[in-house]
Amino acid sequence: MRRSRFTSIWVLVILRSLLRSKRRTVLTVLSLAVSVALVAVLQSVLFTLDSFTTNPNSSNRIAVRHKVSITNLLPMRHAEWIRRQPGVEAVMGLQWFQGVYLDRSNFFPNFASEGEYITTLFKEEVVDYSEFQYRDFLRDRNGCLAGRALADKYGWKVGDVITLKSDIFPITVRLTLRCIFRSRKPSDEMGLHFHYKLLEEGVPYMKGRIGTLWVRAKSPDEVPRLIERIDRHFADATEPTTSETENAFQLNFLKMMGNYSAMIQSITAAVLVAILVVTANTMAMAIRERNTEIAVFRAMGFTGLQVLGLLMAEGVLLSVLGGLLGLGLAGLMAGGVRQTAGTFLPYLQDFMIPGEVLMFCLHATMGVGLLSTFIPAYRAIRRPIIDGLRAL
Amino acid sequence: MIIRCRELSKSYFRGSLEIPVLQGLELEIPEGGYYALMGPSGSGKTTLLNLIAGIDRPTGGSLEVCGFALNDLDDDELAGWRASHVGFIFQNYNLVPVLNAFENVELPLLLTDLSRAQRRERVMEALDLVNLTDRLGNYPRQLSGGQEQRVAIARAIVGDPELLVADEPTGSLDARNAEEVLALMERLNRDLGKTILMVTHDPKAAQHARVQVHLEKGVLERTVEVRK
Repeated sequence: MRRSRFTSIWVLVILRSLLRSKRRTVLTVLSLAVSVALVAVLQSVLFTLDSFTTNPNSSNRIAVRHKVSITNLLPMRHAEWIRRQPGVEAVMGLQWFQGVYLDRSNFFPNFASEGEYITTLFKEEVVDYSEFQYRDFLRDRNGCLAGRALADKYGWKVGDVITLKSDIFPITVRLTLRCIFRSRKPSDEMGLHFHYKLLEEGVPYMKGRIGTLWVRAKSPDEVPRLIERIDRHFADATEPTTSETENAFQLNFLKMMGNYSAMIQSITAAVLVAILVVTANTMAMAIRERNTEIAVFRAMGFTGLQVLGLLMAEGVLLSVLGGLLGLGLAGLMAGGVRQTAGTFLPYLQDFMIPGEVLMFCLHATMGVGLLSTFIPAYRAIRRPIIDGLRAL
Repeated sequence: MIIRCRELSKSYFRGSLEIPVLQGLELEIPEGGYYALMGPSGSGKTTLLNLIAGIDRPTGGSLEVCGFALNDLDDDELAGWRASHVGFIFQNYNLVPVLNAFENVELPLLLTDLSRAQRRERVMEALDLVNLTDRLGNYPRQLSGGQEQRVAIARAIVGDPELLVADEPTGSLDARNAEEVLALMERLNRDLGKTILMVTHDPKAAQHARVQVHLEKGVLERTVEVRK
């Protein structure tokens, strides 16, 4: 039996076969591209959100909140007890302020916090700053500290006055920007912190009370022990606690948006089924039109397997073309997501199409190509040669 | 003998209904023969051609072609056998529309171990034989019917098979082109020693063969020697 050779003419046959019906091929590739772009963006959103719950920098941080809910307050004296525990490096009170800057469209995370601990507790996020500016921030009761990306977004400079009217506290704070810090990723540069004392003074019921306490353990090994010790100690207190790793805290926070993961996966599955059907339809038509040609190939001595390979390669090439175009489209859409969704969901400030999603989409499109072509191609090669020749 | 049919029979089935097409056919064709299979529609001539070409299987009897007992070959072996021993010429040419004349002729050679340069040489020889070296870059849609059939003949002979099977090769051609194609086939038989088996309705075309085999209702009716 003679051996077949893979030569450029095979590639020619495959490429030119795709161009037999240019309009059909272009429309199929476009529909694949749009679908793949949608899948890539959705999967990247999931990936980005998940990355906040698996942040390796947060492995020695613990979030302590009221056991009843995140909206219940904890006494600041809890912080004093926790600071005395062995294995604790720092503790910082942090209160979500929800201040509105100018109008509601200018959303960014802002907190009343114990600023003196911020560079210890969040040393992986507050990476680069001027010591001089930081001391100014600590000295000024009305001072605030903001990330570079946030400052750039609103054109703030050190010394500018920023007024925030809280949506959840009956207070408006007039802050002076004293320090700008840099971080490793844009989403970590989108926050603003001012002194907790200012909130305490302006809102009587906040005196000595705080939303969450953030604890930094000296090492990740200390984290489980500390969580257990803190919750046990305050179990019978008037304000019992729930302590969890930062990743678990972020996950619970994201869960407030509902089961977004299941929703995204369901949409992805539906889109994949849709593109499978579209590609299967195109390939079935393309193969049916070539029944005679397939019979001629086989009459000349091409085996069923060789013809099957030729048709499958065509189907895979069609879907991979659509997939690559879709990934290019998704890359363009990523910038749009950062600019739009990123403003009200800061998690998406770092939005990009990660390598894992690129690979997933490429594999998925190859799978779609293989699956959608296999059945019509297999049926075509199982058809008796004489039937194919008669089909003329 | 290049072809030996013994008690050859073929039936098609429509549900449980058996429709016999060939019945106990005995036929021998010597190497270098030029045979025309003739007979009315439904007489079994195309079926016999398909069986001899190895693209259909008999339901009874034995069939030996080019030294191979075709009944004993599985599908892949039969495909390999066709690639080595048989060239096909169809009524509707059946060229691949997305390949040009050169690439169409080169197609069967992809199943061989020939190098690119050797393939090119063989293709040019075949196209030269059919007098179409000036059309090698043309696509089928850019060729006339006669030229398409000549490209198809070049494709059939490029692998140097012993046997050429032609099913109504002039059926779609006008008289002048038909005459050209028949003259070419006669030359292939006479000068290159190819054994040719041709199905035709056309008595004029059949005159080009050396022997006419007449079938009637699946049975060999008579064999007529037209010329030496």
